[in-house]
Amino acid sequence: MTSLRSPARPLSPHLQIWRWTPVMAASITHRATGIALYAGTVLLSVWTFAAALGADAFRPVGAILASPLGLALLAGYAWALLFHAFNGVRHLYWDQGRGLDLKSVKATALAAFGASLALAGVIVGAALMNRAG
Amino acid sequence: MTHKGTATFIAQRTSAVILLPLAIWFLAGAVAHAGSSYDEMRAWLATPLNAVLMGALILAGAFHMRIGLNEIIDDYIGAGARGIFKLLNLFAAAGAAGLAVYSLFVIAA
Repeated sequence: MTSLRSPARPLSPHLQIWRWTPVMAASITHRATGIALYAGTVLLSVWTFAAALGADAFRPVGAILASPLGLALLAGYAWALLFHAFNGVRHLYWDQGRGLDLKSVKATALAAFGASLALAGVIVGAALMNRAG
Repeated sequence: MTHKGTATFIAQRTSAVILLPLAIWFLAGAVAHAGSSYDEMRAWLATPLNAVLMGALILAGAFHMRIGLNEIIDDYIGAGARGIFKLLNLFAAAGAAGLAVYSLFVIAA
């Protein structure tokens, strides 16, 4: 009887195999931000738990988030979320069978980087202004 | 995700579409509460709409991130250890979702 178990499948080529281009960079950044957002979601869950426990339990969490390291973490989280969202829209667009020519994939890759960085800058700026005033 | 490629593909795209508006709501809420005290932030999260949206964000996020990490595990982990990594992935995603749902119930109660 033939086994239903999967045969040994080949692994994907690692990072050093690929030549760096905007399209390749967007693809690997999509994965990297996906992993970062995985960690961010776990932290968000821990954050809600600390908030549920009460003001005393939340105090150290709030202090970490308000520190320079915490603010850098939040800024990075905002950018990762924005890049993954913009690049995700790119994927949804491709799923319609559109925008798959070389010129389009390069232009939309650069757009995903540019738009996510710009909007992250606006969000971090707005948050800092709101916090200060 | 052997033999379930199409279902996984659709599940990942569906959760992505659900997550887009939730991500916008989340970033807007985070910016609006950058200067808030614990009590202000908790009162905001305790309203039914915000508690439900936060729950939806974390649940859809946990669902989406589990599929995404499973794909990375398929790409880079050999057949021997793959199952263990996928099990750990399920525990982490389900744990994050469960902890958040419990916490939001406590906050909204």
